[in-house]
Amino acid sequence: MLKINNMTKSFGGLTAVNDVSFSVKENEIVGLIGPNGAGKTTLLNLLCGIYKPDAGNVEFMGRNITGLKPNQVCHRGISRTYQIPQPFDAMTSLGAVTVGVINGKKRQNMTLSDAGLDASYFLEFVGLFSKRDTLSKDLTLYELRMLELARALATSPKLLLLDEAMAGLNPVEASKALDMIWSAQEQFGVTILWIEHVMKVIMKAADRLVVLQYGEKIDEGEPEVVMSNKQVIQAYLGGDDAENG
Amino acid sequence: MVSFELKRDRILMRWKQQKFEWIIEPRYWRNPILWSLLLMAVPFFIMGYPNILSMITMANLYAAITIPLALQMTGTGRLNFGPQLYLGLGGYTSALLNLHMGFSPFFTLIATILICGGISLLLSPITWIAKGLYFSLITLILPLAFLDLTFIYGDLFRGEVGLMGMSPMINLGRITWNYVAYYYLSVFMMLTFLFVAEKISQSRFGVTMAAINENEDVALMMGVNVNKYKVFYYVFPSIMIGIVGWFIVHTFRTFAGITYLPLDFMLKMLIIVMIGGRASVYGMIPGAYFVCFLEDSLRSLGTVNYFLFPIILIIVLVALPRGEGIYGLYHKRHPRDYFPVMRVRRE
Repeated sequence: MLKINNMTKSFGGLTAVNDVSFSVKENEIVGLIGPNGAGKTTLLNLLCGIYKPDAGNVEFMGRNITGLKPNQVCHRGISRTYQIPQPFDAMTSLGAVTVGVINGKKRQNMTLSDAGLDASYFLEFVGLFSKRDTLSKDLTLYELRMLELARALATSPKLLLLDEAMAGLNPVEASKALDMIWSAQEQFGVTILWIEHVMKVIMKAADRLVVLQYGEKIDEGEPEVVMSNKQVIQAYLGGDDAENG
Repeated sequence: MVSFELKRDRILMRWKQQKFEWIIEPRYWRNPILWSLLLMAVPFFIMGYPNILSMITMANLYAAITIPLALQMTGTGRLNFGPQLYLGLGGYTSALLNLHMGFSPFFTLIATILICGGISLLLSPITWIAKGLYFSLITLILPLAFLDLTFIYGDLFRGEVGLMGMSPMINLGRITWNYVAYYYLSVFMMLTFLFVAEKISQSRFGVTMAAINENEDVALMMGVNVNKYKVFYYVFPSIMIGIVGWFIVHTFRTFAGITYLPLDFMLKMLIIVMIGGRASVYGMIPGAYFVCFLEDSLRSLGTVNYFLFPIILIIVLVALPRGEGIYGLYHKRHPRDYFPVMRVRRE
C-alpha cells in the first residue's frame, strides 16, 4: 500500500533521514520507533508533503506521491495527527471535525449541515459527542488527542499517520485510546503508521516495527524479534548499559 | 370563538382549528429585520439636519469598507493594514474614467471591479509569501506608495486638491433629496455587503475560513487548498472595498487620495474592526457608527479632540468585556458562531 524508497532529507549539514526504505501493507499497524532525534517525525512530514525529500520517493496505492502538496496528499487518502495537539482554539469540536469532512475526500453536494451530521458521527465514535459545542481550547489533553483522531478520520483516510498519540496520557487513558485506535482500524479499514515512545503500547498494538536511529533504518520486523535485536537495545539504552544490565 | 392565551414568550391566538402566534420575547425577534427597518426610518427623523445625515452616510460607508476588511482578515489569517489602497484604486479609476473618457457610473463600476480585481489578483501572492508582521508591513506600505504616485503624477491625479466634478449617480433636483437618496444607497450597499459576508461565513466556506484563520498548516493537512482560499479572500473583499471608492466618487462628486490613502484613515478602519467586534462582520456597523459619532461630537471641542479621541478609543478598547467589542455586548453568544481571533503571527 505504502512504499517508501530510499528516502533522504537533510537540513543544512544534518541528515535527518538517510536512505530509509520500507513498506506498509493494507490493514496493518506498523510502529515507527527510535530514540529522540532519530528522524521519525521528519519522515512523517516527508510522507505528508510538508517537506520535499532530497532523494527517494513515496508510492501510495501504486502511485507516486512524492512532491505533492499536503492537501493533495490528504485527498489521496493520507491523514495525520500531531505530536503536540494543534486544535483550532476558537472553534468547537464539531466545527473542527466538520472542516475535515468538507475538505477531505471529495463528495458531491455536501452541504454544511450534511457535513455536520457526518462530523457528529466521528465525534460520537471517539466519545466526544457531548463536548461538540465546547471550544477546542477548553478540552483536556485526552480529549484533544481524541479530537485529533476524529479530525483525521473525518477526511476518510486509507492510511492514518499517528504521531505519538499516547504522549502525556495516563495508563487508563492510554488503554482507552488504544482501544479506540483498534476499533478505528476495524470500523474504517484504515492502515496505521504509528510513531510511539510508549513501548508497552506499541509492542501490544503493532504488527510490525521499524526502528530508526540517526536517520537510518536499523531494523524491521515483528515486535518481539526487533526488541531482542542487540543494535536496537543499544540504540535505546546506550551500549554499555545494555551489556551490563 | 377566538381565544387568546399568554405564554411565557408568546401570545397564542386560536380560531377554529387554526393557531396563530406572536413572539413577544425580544431576544427571539428577528433582529436583523428590526435593525434594517430602523436604519430605513432614520431620514424621517433627521430630514432637517443634512450634516448629521451625511455623517451617518459616512458611517455606513465606513461599515461597508470594514465588513469586507473583516472578511479579508479572517479569510487570509493576516492583519491587513492597507485596505484603503483599493478604496483609492476604485475611486481614482472611476473618477478618471468618468472625467476624461466620459464613462457613465455603470461603466465606471465595471471598470472599478475589473481594475481592483486585477490588481488584487496580481498582489495576492503576498498572502502566500508574507506571514504575520511582514504581510502587515507590505500592505501598510502599498497605499502610501500609491499616495506618493498621486503627488508625482499631479497633473493626472491632482494629489493636493483631488478630482472634482464627476457625474452624480442620481440627481433628484434638490440637495436634501439627494442626501436622503445617497443615505439609502449607502445603507443598501452596507446591508448587501453584510448579507454577502454573512452568507459566506455561515456556509461551508466560512467554516474553512475559520480553520485557515486558526491554523493554516493544520488546515492544509486536512485537505484545504489554503492558497486558493487565501487568494479568494484577498481578491473578493478588495473588489468590495473598491466599490465603496466608486460610490464615494459618484455621490460626493469629489475624490482626493490625501483624504483616503494616509495612515490616519487606515487607523480609523482598524479601530472600527477592533472596537466593533474583533472582525465579526456584524460588529462593523456599531463600530463604524460609534467611531463616526464620537469623532463628530468631539470636533466641536476644538484642538482637544486630537488627543481626546484616541484616549476615549483606548478606554473603550480596554474596557469592553471579553475583548469582543461593542457587538459582544449585544449578541447572545453561541459557541458554534465562530468569533475570529486576531493575531499578528510570528511563525
